[in-house]
Amino acid sequence: MSEMWINMGPQHPMTHGLWNLRVKIDGEQVLDVDPEMGYLHRGIEKISEDRHYNEVITLMDRCCYVAGMSWEHLYVLAAEQALHVEPPERAEYIRVMSDEFQRIGSHVMWYAAFVQDIGLMTPFLYGMRDRDLVLDLFQSYTGARMTYEYMRVGGVRNDLPPGFIGEARKVCDWLIDRFVEYDQLCLNSDIFHKRCDGLGVMNAQACIDHGITGPMLRSAGVRRDLRKDRPYSAYDRLEFDVAHAEAGDVTARYLVRMEEMRQSVRIIRQSLDWLEHHPGPVLAQELPRWLGAPYAPVGREGYLLKRNYPKGLGFSAIEEPHGEALAYVVNEGSEHPYRVKFRSPVFANVSAARQYLVGYRVADIPPIMGSVDVCVGEVDR
Amino acid sequence: MSASLLSVSTALSSILLHGVGSILPAPLQGWLTNGNAIDALGILIFGVILLAASMLNTILLIWWERKLLGRFMDRRGAMHVGYAGLLQNFADGFKLFRKDTVRPRDADSMGFFVGPTAYLVTSLVIFAILPISTGWNSGNLPLSLLLAITIFSFAPLFIFISAWSSNNKYSLIGGMRSAAQMIAYEVPILLAIVAVVIVSGTFSLDTIVTEQQNYWYWGPLFLAMVVFVAGMLAEMERIPFDLPEAEAELVEGWNTEYGGMMFAYFMLTDYVRVLLGCFLIVLLFLGGWTMPSWVPSAWTSFPLAGIFWFMLKAYAVFTVFVWIRASLPRVRTDQLLRVGWNRMIPLSLVSIVLAAGLVLAKCVPVFGCLPNLGG
Repeated sequence: MSEMWINMGPQHPMTHGLWNLRVKIDGEQVLDVDPEMGYLHRGIEKISEDRHYNEVITLMDRCCYVAGMSWEHLYVLAAEQALHVEPPERAEYIRVMSDEFQRIGSHVMWYAAFVQDIGLMTPFLYGMRDRDLVLDLFQSYTGARMTYEYMRVGGVRNDLPPGFIGEARKVCDWLIDRFVEYDQLCLNSDIFHKRCDGLGVMNAQACIDHGITGPMLRSAGVRRDLRKDRPYSAYDRLEFDVAHAEAGDVTARYLVRMEEMRQSVRIIRQSLDWLEHHPGPVLAQELPRWLGAPYAPVGREGYLLKRNYPKGLGFSAIEEPHGEALAYVVNEGSEHPYRVKFRSPVFANVSAARQYLVGYRVADIPPIMGSVDVCVGEVDR
Repeated sequence: MSASLLSVSTALSSILLHGVGSILPAPLQGWLTNGNAIDALGILIFGVILLAASMLNTILLIWWERKLLGRFMDRRGAMHVGYAGLLQNFADGFKLFRKDTVRPRDADSMGFFVGPTAYLVTSLVIFAILPISTGWNSGNLPLSLLLAITIFSFAPLFIFISAWSSNNKYSLIGGMRSAAQMIAYEVPILLAIVAVVIVSGTFSLDTIVTEQQNYWYWGPLFLAMVVFVAGMLAEMERIPFDLPEAEAELVEGWNTEYGGMMFAYFMLTDYVRVLLGCFLIVLLFLGGWTMPSWVPSAWTSFPLAGIFWFMLKAYAVFTVFVWIRASLPRVRTDQLLRVGWNRMIPLSLVSIVLAAGLVLAKCVPVFGCLPNLGG
């Protein structure tokens, strides 16, 4: 058969979102690929310039629909720096706990989608079942399952409800047992290894050259994790290991994500222990007066408030479930951020598709792209 | 128990024609009640009963798979239409029936519609050949096994015709994969059957089952059975060999462009072939409708006991297939073909040698030298 281009996307079961992977094939061989992004662009960075600082958090949930909490955290860290606000320690621990629950939720979702790509139907439903427990926890203290709008510049919206810590511990125990089950379903299967070993290999140098971060980078043997290398929130006070693997292939990425989930449970348990014994405020006391209010004070009072408030730049970098997300917030002395800029890890990971797809087969594309863990919401923003 | 379906339908046709003939003038009555007319109507009734029975069984099979898969996946499967979702598949079927059959503008009209229809028809025809119990159909066809396998292997042709005439790249790739896979796995299946034929000394399915009256073949021909079951999994395009319709990369493969009733044809035919595969496995290796002698005779002598045990075995085999589907990922095309050509064919050749050895050692048909496993 002659060479031809086929579109995998924008409506295609492989893509897990709205993007298009153009593939040049010769029979079953992949000769070239061309990822096309931008189908989901909503102009979140531009909209943010018209919103109050706390209203941007609503948009952050829409950035990544499986990791909303991490993106909220990313933004509030940068905004706090820009507005010179210091969150209370309890809020930091709650944020870390939420981040890690979100990481588990995102990775379990990834697991479900990934095994489905290689034809395993059963673990898909196991994954969705277990993710529901995490969503239930989120619902119990944020009121929402996907778009939480929970974090605030200067802390979090509300404290944890009574009885939450016990429930969260139960979920952790349950999840740790289920991770063993996940591994049994995948790693004990010869066919899984036939489908995943030695596929989509990216070595450390190639990863660094293409700006690939997160589990993909760590699976190539680079022990880089912003939670360790540039600790934010309460991560410097918690013990955990950086998950990593050497092979840089699909199986290695699987192993890294599985280990990350175990480490997340470890972090959650430590933060729950801390939270249990350290009650306190969860929102900073000294907030700019116009920040908490739905509308800024108007007239001369508002003008003076804003004019006298110090300007600032905020930069934050967090280890999001998909990789390293960066945010930049410019405070020019008004109730709106002057400029907001985000760096999406998935955008870099997907842009390098030519590096890890060419030379493999058409049937290898779903497992490889599945192992990248694409979330189009944050790519296009 | 021994009354065959054909004799029942012939008797039915005779009663009908005599009844109708008695109110007609004499020349018409004579024409209606002669042997040829009765036989012709009898065969028609036979076909209608068989069609209805096999369709009902296919639909029941789909229901069973959905329920079983649901349990494997920690959910309940179809629940709402009918008792325990028994009528869910009818609802789905009617939905597909009501939908428009859309043909892509550049698709080849002839191939697009003939492909699925022929695929369904050639699969259904095999039910007329497979015996379900003693003297089930017209009698002891001497080459029924060969005929069934021959018709069974028409499928890749029709799949490829429908895939090609859809004029879609995904369909074409899926169709080529499907054809390559089916042809690759025909060979080991046929070789595994040769082992059965060597041991039983006949191509007649009735005789093969009768030979197993005292001794089921799954014991002595275990290797052949493994090859046959694995090959059948590939022929039926089920996980782990369902890559022609791999939904992740090929968007349902060769039936991407089909909708409505044409799609229903494909889905139905897939399960018809699964049922046929289960029937063949039961007939060739699990003793057909016979039961071991240690089973109390009261359990094997009630009316239609043969059909009951046969269907029970077939559904048990299918349950194993569902179990496999629930627990294995899908292999890749080249891996599948490599397994087919490099592993299955040598294994099936070994199984032929083993079967020939059994015959030479005079173990067959007496099996005096082996422990009694099934009969």
